[in-house]
Amino acid sequence: MSTNIDHIKEEHHHQPSGLMRWITTTNHKDIGSLYLWFSLLMFFIGGFMALIIRAELFQPGLQLVVPGFFNQMTTMHALIMIFGALMPAFVGLANWQLPMMIGAPDMALPRLNNWSFWILPFAFTMLLSTLFFESGGPAAGWTLYPPLSLQGGNSMPFVIFSLHLLGASSILGAINVIATILNMRAPGMTLMKMPIFVWTWLITAFLLIAAMPVLAGAITMLLTDRFYGTSFFTAAGGGDPVLFQHIFWFFGHPEVYILILPAFGIISTIIPAFSRKKLFGYDSMVYATASIALLSFIVWAHHMFTVGMPLAGEIFFMFTTMLIAVPTGVKVFNWVATMWRGSMTFETPMLFSLAFIILFTIGGFSGLMLAITPADFQYHDTYFVVAHFHYVLVPGAIFAVIAAVYYWLPKWTGKMYNETLGKVHFWMTTVFVNITFFPMHFVGLAGMPRRIPDYAVQFTDFNMIASIGAFGFGLSQLLFVYILFQTLRQPVTAADKSWEGAEGLEWTLPSPAPYHSFDTPPKVD
Amino acid sequence: MKSVKSTITKLSLVVVAMYGFSYALVPIYDTFCEITGLNGKTNEVAYTGSDIEKENRFIKIKFISNVANSAPLYFEPAVTEMTVQVGKPYNTHYVMKNNSTKQLHTTASPSVTPGKFAEYFKKIECFCFNQQTIDSGEIKDLGIQFVVDNDLPTNIGDIVLSYTMFDITNKVVEADKL
Repeated sequence: MSTNIDHIKEEHHHQPSGLMRWITTTNHKDIGSLYLWFSLLMFFIGGFMALIIRAELFQPGLQLVVPGFFNQMTTMHALIMIFGALMPAFVGLANWQLPMMIGAPDMALPRLNNWSFWILPFAFTMLLSTLFFESGGPAAGWTLYPPLSLQGGNSMPFVIFSLHLLGASSILGAINVIATILNMRAPGMTLMKMPIFVWTWLITAFLLIAAMPVLAGAITMLLTDRFYGTSFFTAAGGGDPVLFQHIFWFFGHPEVYILILPAFGIISTIIPAFSRKKLFGYDSMVYATASIALLSFIVWAHHMFTVGMPLAGEIFFMFTTMLIAVPTGVKVFNWVATMWRGSMTFETPMLFSLAFIILFTIGGFSGLMLAITPADFQYHDTYFVVAHFHYVLVPGAIFAVIAAVYYWLPKWTGKMYNETLGKVHFWMTTVFVNITFFPMHFVGLAGMPRRIPDYAVQFTDFNMIASIGAFGFGLSQLLFVYILFQTLRQPVTAADKSWEGAEGLEWTLPSPAPYHSFDTPPKVD
Repeated sequence: MKSVKSTITKLSLVVVAMYGFSYALVPIYDTFCEITGLNGKTNEVAYTGSDIEKENRFIKIKFISNVANSAPLYFEPAVTEMTVQVGKPYNTHYVMKNNSTKQLHTTASPSVTPGKFAEYFKKIECFCFNQQTIDSGEIKDLGIQFVVDNDLPTNIGDIVLSYTMFDITNKVVEADKL
């Protein structure tokens, strides 16, 4: 193997060095690293905004920021975290892992891959620059509901254009992922032999190319309503603002599965590795993922039960939403069954995965509560909703990304992180994430509305607890950055197969994974 | 690599189709609302159908008004409640006053609650079919002629007719410039 690699290195010694290496790179591993570092940066920018929100909400009354700026923070925090932190993190993992997992030399469309990434810094520079406008950044919430979003300041066309760019980047990335998986698998690797992470990403990529163009359409209509005199959503011209909510959530609900399906794939990879057993029910995992993806297109109106729908509509969307609990339940069952009588060990990636299963399920249950139409009239637009989606996105999606980074870091760098510090990071993160978000259930049920800078005094105690938790959570992530840099400074010591129970083609490569791998496809039985 | 090309072509078609679908949702939504009577949209052009037979049945119609975006307008119904016979045409009007110092162009958007009865509320004549021009300080009566269809189900309470008045001066002035 190693002579093989030296030979390959000689062939490719013409690449530029320094900054130009990163700007012109078409290597899937370089681009994967770019995505992951970019995502980490955005995670801290979005997190800083969350801390501004939590600082203001530490006590009732207005202390730190004016309400207008508070609204800009809630809007930007969501946009940055969804489009800047989570989606690029998953695309980065896909870039690093997919070619290695299916035995391909690179992604199918390397130049397009470079372009997909380099769109992002421009899009986010434009988005963030709106905060320095005289009229401020977007303040209508990430959902951009009209008429409010049509009445905002000058930031609106900039936000829409940056969302168009982000959508283009995601669509290009998704096309690349599908083209790679469908055409570049090693001989012998049939679809039903693919690693589960590859399956979840294949389905996610289909969701992306089906959903992102709908978002592009919706925001283009907003743009023409505001500047070109159309009346899709302006009631003055016979339009209907509720139509926007329908189109937006037709994109929006598949979008939330775009944020969680790759996380399912990561957990389904890590749990078997540290249980030293094969994944229980591989086939049912694939079918469950596909069912969740299909169902995601017929449940959108559960985000808008209170908008005024006929009874038949409310019942239809209630039942289809509840139906999603079935394939999701299959997944949770399979994870638990994989661990059953396994010889488990509890390294950092496994700890994050176990916390994922428990805490994501809490978020799933509060989702079921929200699915019940009559109950939703009480919960709608309260902090209960905030608690729900933060439980599925923070100890859900973000925990999965952190677990994946710890799990594959030795493969990427050839260096092992400090296990003790990793465990400290896990416990701090898990304790603080619950201190932050669990009290939000209580204030939500008691009636505290979301997206407000001030609140009634009876909500003070729980808000103080949540704010303390948020600052603890934020500071714990600095430890994560420290662990990453400390790992990078170590000498190369990691074994090719860094984890005893790890399975998959990536572990047959040396650690760190060579710049070019699988120029000759491996054979899969 | 031929298969990669065909994958890309197919996927690009999906992207274009889904973008088109987002626009197709607009007429789909309108048709869906019309069939189900959702969102209380009333007829947008005058009812010119055959005469409706009178029925010995009475129903209360309530009139309400809104002014969008705090436009400088006074806009209120002349009468806030009418008890009408089903099948018989009635006349009423709203009063609008321009409280600003310049000429304004306005348009009204109607809505009936409960939404599913909107289709039985037929407007023969309505100021909402046209835009209005109102001079500074001018007071205008804006008339409506309507009839309640005798297909109206029997087990219903009151019907509320609401108008929201929009100031569209900027749009009209910009369109004139072009």
